[in-house]
Parts: sequence; structure tokens; C-alpha cells
Amino acid sequence: MKKTLNINIGNSIIHIEEDAYELLTNYLIEVKQHFGKSADDFEIVSDIENRIAEMFTEILHTQQKQVIEREDVQVVIGLMGSVKDFEDQSDEDPANDYTNAYASTVRKIYRDTDEAMIAGVCSGLSHYLKMDVSILRIVAVLSIFLGGSGLLAYLVLWIAIPRALTRTEKMAMKGEAANLQGFKKSFEEELSGLKENLKNANEHLQPLVKQSGNFITEFIGILGAFLQGSGKVIFKFIAVVLMITGSVLFLSDVVALAAILGVGYSGVTQLFPFNIVNGSYLTIFSISVFITIGIPLLGLILLSVRVAFNSRPINRMVSYGLLLIWLCALSTGIFFVARIGSEFKQEASFTQNLSLKTFPVYTLEIDRSMVFSKEDSLRYQLNSTDYVGKVIQKDSGRSNNAPRNVTIRIEKSDGNVPSLVESYSSKGRDFAAALSHAKNIRYNFIQKDSLLNFASEVRLQKNEYWRDQEVELVVKLPVGTKLRISKNLDRYLRGYSLWDCDDENFVEDRYEGVMTEEGLKCQIEKK
Amino acid sequence: MIAENTQTQMRKGILEYCVLLIISRGEIYASDIIAELKSAKLLVVEGTLYPLLTRLKNNGLLSYNWVESTSGPPRKYYTLTPLGTAILASLDGTWQELSFAIAKSKNQTNL
Repeated sequence: MKKTLNINIGNSIIHIEEDAYELLTNYLIEVKQHFGKSADDFEIVSDIENRIAEMFTEILHTQQKQVIEREDVQVVIGLMGSVKDFEDQSDEDPANDYTNAYASTVRKIYRDTDEAMIAGVCSGLSHYLKMDVSILRIVAVLSIFLGGSGLLAYLVLWIAIPRALTRTEKMAMKGEAANLQGFKKSFEEELSGLKENLKNANEHLQPLVKQSGNFITEFIGILGAFLQGSGKVIFKFIAVVLMITGSVLFLSDVVALAAILGVGYSGVTQLFPFNIVNGSYLTIFSISVFITIGIPLLGLILLSVRVAFNSRPINRMVSYGLLLIWLCALSTGIFFVARIGSEFKQEASFTQNLSLKTFPVYTLEIDRSMVFSKEDSLRYQLNSTDYVGKVIQKDSGRSNNAPRNVTIRIEKSDGNVPSLVESYSSKGRDFAAALSHAKNIRYNFIQKDSLLNFASEVRLQKNEYWRDQEVELVVKLPVGTKLRISKNLDRYLRGYSLWDCDDENFVEDRYEGVMTEEGLKCQIEKK
Repeated sequence: MIAENTQTQMRKGILEYCVLLIISRGEIYASDIIAELKSAKLLVVEGTLYPLLTRLKNNGLLSYNWVESTSGPPRKYYTLTPLGTAILASLDGTWQELSFAIAKSKNQTNL
């Protein structure tokens, strides 16, 4: 069912469908604009209108129908010719003809939808570049594999290049002059094509290409029909899924806000990455983050509710209000991110030397109590060695409050005295702040006879914020000193990997090495 | 390009001449003129004829009568004015000269 209109054209009353009416109106407006340049415009336009009216009555009469459809209008416009077709004919000034003839023989780029596979970009380019279209298509398909650049280029060209609609444009695309002779040529071409194949002149030229092109067009058509029909069900299903997901996310957003703002004391603010934010900013920053995340989620929920249950959209004032609040929250959030970011501007570090008691053999280990051992995995019935050597959290108030921040180097000492150099570094707003952060680093290192026990991470004091605090430990040992290094230390080692050595060097999870003039070496050289 | 321009000019003049010739045979309706021109492969789209007819009429070569139609609105039927007939006669002469000139030139080149 379609809506029809009654129009009075050339003193005839015609029933016309709405879309056909739009097409006709646009055409007549174009015609009026074109002939408006000359003095006789009214007469020409009314002649054309009369003729169109007559064609309509003929169509209605011969086809035994009541209403003019869009296709009929298209046929009539085709017979009449579009405004662009008039242009080269109506010029009476011969001087104009030179410029026109010049303009129309210049090859212009258009998309050729008559010979199109998808949108006619390649075939249009092939006319413009005078290249074989199949070469361009192969290049286009290959360029998709170059990181999809071809696909992007295709889309851009699709949007940028206009489609060749009128005969004049189609001829300009092929570089033919848009004069009467040229028209005749293209018209005759079409006619002869029509004779051979009733459907389309191009069909007999490129049966294969056209067929696959048809397939794509059909496919899109089918997809469209599918989306209109059963697609609605799918849309609703997606909407419900989105609604549930959105609600869960929104709820967790609320819970997160509550946790951070400390409904009671949750201690979550001592955890990384929450401990980046200064305590004084925390409340307002987390509220703005909450809103920045929450309002889009709310919008998503409302939208999916609307789609799923066909309910009315929310009040416009409310939605503008929400948008305004969201923008405020976003800018506040960005302000604080910038503010906190500026606290990472300067870096400061200081070093302290610890002399070690001399032993011929040292054992280096990461504090056992913090490492998940084989025994632990047995105790917790974890049937995997995957966990072995991983740092775990202990119950005793230790918190995972910073990313990896301990590095260990093993170097040759200058003299005969073994020592440990501890470098504490941190970032801050200025040098003084950075230095004070660095001074507040707590790091546990214990020498128990020949056992050097390193803590697995830096601990931040309470009320300290994470400012990229790091500790670098350099163990300096005299030449000839032997080492037993626990496997789990490997991940903290810089400039050396235990895995470069043969398995024979490992005795009970410990790697054995020796300090030489050239630095640390495996006890047993690799063969 | 110059060749194409010449072709346009030639066709333009001949189109006018043909329109006058068709009308000279008696009162005729615009779409019948178009049908004839189309069968002569001189015109492609109808819309281009109307400006031409209007121009010829304004120059006093043509006049038209409104004639009631059995189907639809009244139609404009074109006839030649005395001025139009005179101009057509002079055009006939010109055409004779032109075709003679061309035949002559062709024969000369063929020799």
C-alpha cells in the first residue's frame, strides 16, 4: 500500500504515488531552474509540463491502471532528457559552444554503476585512467590485504566520487563529447545493446562480472529484507542482552564508587592503581569518573529498553541535563588526570651502599615467604608447576600496591670487599617531592650469613601514593666468589639470564655461577 | 575537439532546417515532430526540442493553434508563418548549394 496524491499538471488531474511525485517535483524544479535563465522560460516549461501530462495519460490508458508510479516517472524523464542533457543543446551563442565542447570532452571521474561490482569505483577509475578494469579490480582486492588500506580507499572513493546518472555524465566519464553527435552515439550503442539483450547493453559484454555483481546486489537486497523481517527479533534480542550487560556494568560502577569512597574503610585506595590518586582528590575524582562511565551506561540501558519494549524516549530536558552533567564530569576527570600526570614530571633518586660480610659462596634468594613454592602448590592441591616461583600475597597486611619495581644486577666489585648498592628512585611534581617519595620507600633486604634475602617488591608506606617508585639493587662481588642463585630470582635480574646456562648448573632449583673478570659466568660452561 | 564542435554546429543548423521542413508539410503536434526526428536519429531527448520551437516561434517563423484533444488537455499544433515559409525557401537554396559544394568537393578529392 502506498499513499497517492492528486496533481494538476498541464490541466490534467493525475493520480500519482508519493515517491513518484517527489521525483517528478525535483525534475520540474531542475527544469525550471535551467530555463529560468532565458526569457521564454514560462512557455518552455509549460510545454514540457503539458507533454509530461500527456505521456502520463497515455501510460495510464495503455497500461490500464489508475496511478502513476515511480518507474513511469523515470521512463518519462528518460524520454524528456535531464537538465544536463539540455545544456549543450539550448545554447544559442556560438561562442559558448566552444567552451562547452571543450568542457564536455574533458574526461571527468564518475562511478560507473552500469558496470559495477559493488559501487562502480573501479570501473569509473578504469574509464578515467583508460586502464583495463580487471587490472584495477585485482589491485583493489590485493590492497585489502595490505592492512585493509584498499578497503578504506574504496570507501573514501565511494563517498567522494559521484555516480554517473545522466547520459551527459556517462559520456563525460568515458571522455566523449556531450553534443548531439555524442548523444547519438551513446544512444545508438544502447539501442544496439538492447537489441542483443533485452535487459542491459552491458550484460552481453561482461556476463560473468555482471552476474557476480548481480549476486552482490541481490545479497544486499536479501540482507535488507532479512533485517526488516526477522531482523527485528534479533535487534530486540541484542537490545535485551545490552540492557542486562549495561545494568550489570552500571551496578559495578556504583559498587566501585561506594568501595572507593569508603563505605566503611575498605582499604581499596591502598591498592594499585587507586593509590596513584592523591587522597585529597580522591572523592571528587572518583565521582567524576563514576559519572563519566555511568551516564553512557545509563544511556545504553535506556536505549536498549526503548528498542526492546518500544517505549517512549526519555524527556528531552532530562537527556540534555544528563549530557551536561556528563560533560562536566568528563572535564573534571580530565583536569585531575592532567594534574596527577604532572606529578610524574620530575625524577629523583638516591643511592646507599651496604657492605656485605665476606663469604666464599653466597646464596641469593627472593624472600621465600612471598613466593609460591612447590610445597605450597601441593598444599593447596594445585596440580601445576605454573604457580611455582610466582609472587603471592601473604595475609599479613601486605598489599599489591605497585607494579613490578625491583631490579637486581650482579656485578664485579672494584676491590675485594663485597657490597650492595641500593638505588631508590621515584617521580614527583618537582625534585623535592620526588626525593621525598624516594626516601619513603621501604625495602627489605636481609643478609643471614651467606644468604642474601631480597624482598620481592617495594612497599609503599601508608598515605603514600604510587609515583613510580623503584629500587635497583647492585650486588658487587669480588672475582672468584661463587654464587647460588634461586631460580625465582631470574625475573628480577637485569643484564643476565640464568637460562643462558646449561641445566647442569642447576642444583636443587639453584643456579651455580662464579664471578670472573668478565662478570658473572656459569659454573659449567656451555658446550 | 574542433571537429566535434563543427559537427555540433552542422547538426544544430540541420536540426532547425529539418524541424522547419517537417512543419512545412502541415499542422503538426510537437510530439509528432519528435517522433519523426527520432526516427531520423537526429534527436535523442524530447526536452531539447521545446526550447528550439519556442525560439523559432519568438523569431516569427512559427505560429501555433490550440487544438482540443480526445485524450487529455488541448495540444499546441505548429504551422509555418509566411516568414517561416520564406526562410525555409532560402534554406532550401542554401542546402542545395551546400550539397552541391560537398558533392563537388568529394568528387574532386576522389579524382
